[in-house]
Amino acid sequence: MELYTPIFVLGGIGAAFVIVSMIVGAIAGPKRYNRTKLQAYECGIEPTPQPVGGGRFTIKYYLTAMLFIVFDIEVIFLVPWAVHLDALGIFGLVVMILFLVNVSIAYAYEWRRGGLEWN
Amino acid sequence: MIPLSLSETTLPTVTTQAPDLDYWLLSPLLVVFAAGVIGVIVEAFVPAQRRYSIQTALAMVAVGVAFVLTLVQVGALPADSAGLTLAFATVVVDRPSLFFQGVILALALASLLLIAERRDGESAFTGQAAAVPGSEEERAHVLAGSQHTEVYPLVMFAVLGMQLFTAANDFLTMFIALEVMSLPLYLLCGLARRRRLFSQEAALKYFLLGAFSSAFFLFGIAMVYGYAGAVEFAAVRAAGSSGGLIDGGEPLLLIGIAMIGVGMLFKVGTVPFHNWKPDVYQGAPTPITALMASGTLVAAFGAMLRVFYVAFGTTVAQWRPMLWVVAILTMVVAAVIAVTQRDIKRLLAYSSVVHAGFILTAVVAANADGLTGAMFYLAAYGFTTVGAFAIVTLVRNPDNGAEAGDLTQWAGLGRTSPFLAASLGLFLLAFAGIPLTSGFIGKFAVFEAAVAAGATPLVVVGVLSSAVTAFFYVRIIVLMFFAEPAENAPRVLKPGILTGTTVGLGVAATLLLGILPGPVLEHVIPQPAAETSEAVAAEHTAADSLFAR
Amino acid sequence: MDPMNYIVLAAIVFTIGAVGVLVRRNAIIVFMCVELMLNACNLAFVAFARMHGGIEGQVIAFFVMVVAAAEVVVGLAIIMQIFRTRRSASIDDANLLKN
Repeated sequence: MELYTPIFVLGGIGAAFVIVSMIVGAIAGPKRYNRTKLQAYECGIEPTPQPVGGGRFTIKYYLTAMLFIVFDIEVIFLVPWAVHLDALGIFGLVVMILFLVNVSIAYAYEWRRGGLEWN
Repeated sequence: MIPLSLSETTLPTVTTQAPDLDYWLLSPLLVVFAAGVIGVIVEAFVPAQRRYSIQTALAMVAVGVAFVLTLVQVGALPADSAGLTLAFATVVVDRPSLFFQGVILALALASLLLIAERRDGESAFTGQAAAVPGSEEERAHVLAGSQHTEVYPLVMFAVLGMQLFTAANDFLTMFIALEVMSLPLYLLCGLARRRRLFSQEAALKYFLLGAFSSAFFLFGIAMVYGYAGAVEFAAVRAAGSSGGLIDGGEPLLLIGIAMIGVGMLFKVGTVPFHNWKPDVYQGAPTPITALMASGTLVAAFGAMLRVFYVAFGTTVAQWRPMLWVVAILTMVVAAVIAVTQRDIKRLLAYSSVVHAGFILTAVVAANADGLTGAMFYLAAYGFTTVGAFAIVTLVRNPDNGAEAGDLTQWAGLGRTSPFLAASLGLFLLAFAGIPLTSGFIGKFAVFEAAVAAGATPLVVVGVLSSAVTAFFYVRIIVLMFFAEPAENAPRVLKPGILTGTTVGLGVAATLLLGILPGPVLEHVIPQPAAETSEAVAAEHTAADSLFAR
Repeated sequence: MDPMNYIVLAAIVFTIGAVGVLVRRNAIIVFMCVELMLNACNLAFVAFARMHGGIEGQVIAFFVMVVAAAEVVVGLAIIMQIFRTRRSASIDDANLLKN
């Protein structure tokens, strides 16, 4: 059981930090509202008012998500390489550079063909 | 500390060392991969009007060079060598893998000629895939003469996947190769210039069913990994005879074989996993259909032979009944459905399903003759089918320029375009397995192997199925040569040098392999070692068994 | 805990995914079910790796994740294209290719 103590302590500190900062913020902070500030803290989508049936995402989100996720997931190969950096040595470095060059080529294509522009 | 970490005793020990990558032996793969990557760079940085010429030249040169490199490596392989494994033993270079790669590259080159064909600046591919069919945007792109030259890098990656699929030496590499091959093909299917809704639908179907089947394939790999504790074919083979790592793990192996089998059978398209084939073949741009019908089939069977002969070579008794049932179902059901088809591309698709059934009889045989028979059959069928699809691209509707798929329109074509009709007639006779064509020798070889392995009932079904399919092939020939031309007779395009070369290649291969099969069977097809009975094979490791010389 | 329990869980998740593919009609949901199946495979690989005390299964799981991401991109591209054309992602609406 004592093995879990650090986790509980960490959780307690985290919760305390949230509560304290919310209280301090509510008491000490200046209150000047404008439209942007009242919007939800959300990356892009207006959550309210909810249209009938939950509404639909604009299809551009899927595009962005698609373009993002490929490069996001490729990073997975960097983790084992970084962990075993010493043992893999120069060979590992060269291979990883080659891999990243390949990924960058795909990125260059995406950038040149306008995949990163919102409109 | 953190309680969830592994205890010291279960931590695997990892030894890392730089692998000895033999770039020379990997060169056929690397050349094709490099062409794909350079193609992407060209797409990103070269102005649109110059991309077509650069991309076509790049793709064809790369495939040609890779083909030559493959031939050189066949010559360089020591005569007594059972094959080499490369790159952490993930890739194997032996005669069967080089043979399959050579065939795939040749077929890819023939398909590339069709892909590169343009008439009045129009290729078979849509100018702008992102534009909604029938929209203003699409019209604007047609007027501007937009074209997707991304097709070429995508084809390169697909071909790379096909090559690797036949050369994989473990299940992980094979799975990656399967995806590298399939993902570009899903996209390519949706890029047809005309009848774009059909094309997009074909892409959706192919994608959803393909992803579904590859999930099965992967779960099968997981089960086999659980049973054998490794995914290398040699280790799985050894575990098959020694009993695996887990007590009572036999069910894992059986589930694994079944699920890997499902994934493989989907890719080759046998009943009951054939539903995608007619829809996808019909909807996809015809040059891509040609590539799928030839290259993908060769690659999938190459991989299947390796998996079932090498990895599951010690558990033949377990998988043979399954493939028996599938082969019989395929040959019977597909032949019956094929008779009712009215569209040439659907008919060729069902014909491809039936042929997959025939080749499956060679897989069931699980002997040396089965291997060589399947190799010959795949090469012969590949060239014939590319030629047949090349002809399909030439016959167009008079009003809108789309391909005239309806078979009634093909009536009387033998009078208006005798050469074209004669070529197609030859291909159909080869599909039917008439003597003096390559199809006859191929069928003879696989059926002979199946009889030798005691699968005589399978051969009886196969011969009956051949008779049924011969009926509808001959019906088309009769329609073309002895019927009056239809009212909505199609416009037959004069074959350009590219399409003409592909048709010529198909005709030449069909006749050559039919009339003079001896030299090919003796010198081109790798001859496995003489002692290949199941009992003997079981004692050998993967490297020096059936796939060895 | 017996690692075999994880295998059973993986099999159950895989089955849920497979059933989902067969019964759901929205292409996006069908596709998510396929991803579920792939993740079930990953669970099985990692559990087996633990059972065998090897690392191969974990490495395979990495590769499967990357392949799954690539598949997501290709799949979403195709589904998006169909949706823009038809304003519907139902796979029953995609029925032109039936004779």
